[in-house]
Formats: sequence, C-alpha cells, structure tokens
Amino acid sequence: MRRFVNAKILLVAFIVAGFSISAPAQKINGNSGARSSAPSSPVKLTLPLKDGSLRFAVIGDTGTGSSQQHALGSMMAKYRAVFPFEFVLMMGDNMYGGEKPKDFEKKFAGPYRQLLADKVKFYASLGNHDQALQVNYEHFNMNGKDYYRFKKGDVAFYALNSNYMDKKQVEWLESELAKDTSEWKVCFFHHPPYSSAKKHGSDSQLREVVEPIFLKHGVDVVLTGHDHVYERIKPQKGIYYFVSGAGGKLRTGDIKDSSPLTAKSFDGDMHFMLFEVTGDEMHFQAISRTGQTIDSGVITRRKKS
Amino acid sequence: MKHIIPDPLRVVGVSLIALSFAVTVAVAQKTDNPALAPAPVTSPAEKAAIESFENHVKDYVKLRNKVRETAPKLSKDATPEQIHAYRTTLEESLRNARKGARRGDLFKPDITSFIRRTLKNEFQGRDRKEIRDIAFETELKGVVLRVNYPYADSAEQSEMPATLLAKLPQLPKEVRYRFVGSNLILVDRESNVILDFMPDALP
Ligand SMILES: [Fe+2]
Repeated sequence: MRRFVNAKILLVAFIVAGFSISAPAQKINGNSGARSSAPSSPVKLTLPLKDGSLRFAVIGDTGTGSSQQHALGSMMAKYRAVFPFEFVLMMGDNMYGGEKPKDFEKKFAGPYRQLLADKVKFYASLGNHDQALQVNYEHFNMNGKDYYRFKKGDVAFYALNSNYMDKKQVEWLESELAKDTSEWKVCFFHHPPYSSAKKHGSDSQLREVVEPIFLKHGVDVVLTGHDHVYERIKPQKGIYYFVSGAGGKLRTGDIKDSSPLTAKSFDGDMHFMLFEVTGDEMHFQAISRTGQTIDSGVITRRKKS
Repeated sequence: MKHIIPDPLRVVGVSLIALSFAVTVAVAQKTDNPALAPAPVTSPAEKAAIESFENHVKDYVKLRNKVRETAPKLSKDATPEQIHAYRTTLEESLRNARKGARRGDLFKPDITSFIRRTLKNEFQGRDRKEIRDIAFETELKGVVLRVNYPYADSAEQSEMPATLLAKLPQLPKEVRYRFVGSNLILVDRESNVILDFMPDALP
C-alpha cells in the first residue's frame, strides 16, 4: 500500500513537472573496467537518428592526456561514424596540471584528433583546474568569455563559469534567460548543483543561486562535471541534471549507495554522452570508454507558459 | 477639503508611480535572491574603506592595462603558442612594473577588518563549513604565497561561490579573489600574478 502511495506521488510529481522519461532508476556497480586493455563492445546506438535532428556529445573532466582519455576519444569517433554529432560540450577541467603549448596537444588536440579533423566543434566551460586564458583558445569556441550563450536549432546553450560565479555573471544569466524564447534551454558548467558522489557531492552554495534562476526562466536540462562519475539525477523541481565528469579521470566506487538523488549512476569506467534533440524530445545515451551503454532515455520538453 | 487633481496630472502621477514600480521590479529581478545581497556596511569608516580599496584596485587595473600594451595582441581564437607568448610577456611585464609591491598594498588594515567581519557574520553554521571545505580541499601543490609571484599553473583554483563573491567588495573583470587555505588572495585574472593576500580571512 505504502509503495503504491509512493508510486502515485512520483507519478503526480512527473505530471506536475511536465516531463516524462523512459529510463529506469538504478546504479550500475563499478566493474573496474578502466584498464586501457579492456575489450570494446560493438557500437550500439539507442538514439533515434532522425533526419534534421540536433546532435551533440558531452564530455567532462577530460584533460589528463592519459591513454584512457585517448581511448575515450577514439570511442567517440567510432560512435560519430554512425551518429554524426555536430559539436561537443565540455564540462570543464579541460586541462589538469599545467597549460604549456605541449599540454594543449597532449590533453586536448591529441585525444580528439579525429573529431577535430572531422570539423567537430568543441564548446568549453571552465573548471577549477583551468586557466583563464583557455577562453581564447581556438578550439574551445568561447569567444574570449568564460560565460557565453549560443544557439543551435531550437536549443539555447549557456556555458557558465561555476568556479567564479560573480554578480556580473548571475545578472547576465538572468537577463539573457529572461529574453530567451528558445524551445529548449540547456545550461552547462563544472560544479554540480546535485550529485551523489562522495568526493564533492551537491554544490549547495551554487544551487542556492542558480536554481531559482533556472526555475524562473524555464531551463530544461543542466549538464555538469567535477565529480569523476556518471550520474543522472532524478528530476529536481522539473529540471533534469546530469553529472558527466569522467571523460579523463575516474573515481571508481565514488557514488553513494542508495542516494535519493540518483536516477542512474555509473562509476566503473570513463564515459561520454550523446544527445539528440528532435522537436519536443531530447534523447540521451551515456557510453563507457569500452563502448558499453550505461544509460539511455528520452526527456520530453515541458510546456512553457 | 477634498483635493481635486486635474485629470492630465493624475494620469502623469499614476504613470510615474507605475514607472517607479516597474523600475523597482526590474531592479528587484536582478537582486531578489537574498543570498546575493551585499554585506551590510555598518559605518562611514567602512564605506570609506571599501571605496578606498576599490580605488586602489582601479589604479592597479590602469597600470596593468598600460603594461598589457607591451604584450602581443591575443585574438579570441588563438593558438596555444600565442596564448603562451601573451601570458608570459604579461606576467613578466607586470612583475617588473610592480617590483616594489608588498603585502598590504591593496588589502590595507581597514578593508581586511571589513572582509574578516563580513565572512564571520555572513557565513555561519553549514554555510561556513561548506566554504571552509571548498577552500581547504583545493590542491595547492606548487603554490608560493608571495606578492608579485605567479600562482602555480599546475595548481587548482578554489571555487568562489556566488554567495561569497556577492558579499565581498566588487572587483573589475581583470582581478579575482581566490582562497589559498584560509588566506584570501587577489590575482590578476589573465597572468595569474598574486597581487596581494590577507592571512586568516576565513573564520
Ligand atoms: Fe573539478
């Protein structure tokens, strides 16, 4: 009976939020598959691959230059052969431990050489390990700004600098979102307002400031990194939050067991994400370094008044 | 006796009231989150301390922008080599131009007391713990806390939450606050040169 009541509450919450999602809630236990010699799964796409859809990838906490980061970059290129995504969003910590010219090659251009050769655009946000002048780097498309907006199809993307959220940035975000009539609004930045990882977890100071703005102006999806795991958060007040912070670093076993926030999580290997937006639907697929699908689903856009 | 306001004036009056309300609402839209309210300034002396600090920072920015003219121009789609050349030239020129810089040039005693009091009063309980956690979990390997020295490239930079930045005196875009343990430092954003630091800022 109690379970039935809970299910009913959940159902009502979904209806109120105006979202629906087709993926179940669960944690996939770590399989310690981070060795570079782990066998690859065949490419298996769960996305609809519709004509004219908007397609992009997401990576976070990438910049180590390790063989695993290279392996993940190769797996992204492999998936791109069947799912031609146009651009990649970067969740920050794009370069760890120094930014001499050779580091840009080792920690970015090298691991994604194939994607860069195929003219895939990268849009970066900054993390706590990133130097300010990355905003001027030719391949990060930041146009000299550590927070910026761009639009693709019906989707407006907002890159934020969560490491230094000063008043100017908060006011910019609020005023840009207020006049934004895009069908979809997606924000991406480094620190997760919600996370079930033990190392950092939810950034409540940040959440206190950005969540009311997201709610007021109809932000649909929030993409973050910082914790070196994958986590899809249960919708919070109608907004979908993802943590995608294992594109070059991994914290195996870092997800708390039975966290009430988790819809799905994975801390057994590095990963990247693919997204496809078609009309009112945003499909997503999270893929491990070895090509295993660790999560997939579809978010239906809520109606905006 | 009843005051009768002629209609055109009444319209103007009502419009002005409506306009002032609209302006209030527009301003409120930007500042309606109480977490982003500025720290209370409790005396004319504190107000003067903040103004003086902000003026000293502005003077620094004038100097750095003049010095920056000697660095190669940096485009918004620069190569790593161009970024490196700009960064190292700016760093060297800034350090040369500020050879005599000392701790306390910007963080003078009156502003440090204001900042310490603000951090102590505005962040208590769980908020204070979270800010301390953020500051103390930052990896500082290689950081030498010395005025006019560059903050180590390889080190992490502490997150500066919006709730905290809103309470501190506002800075121009060229300068940033950062924590090194419980020390609050001022850095030049692009070159990462440490401009000043105040010890034991965190309660
Ligand atoms: Fe990080």
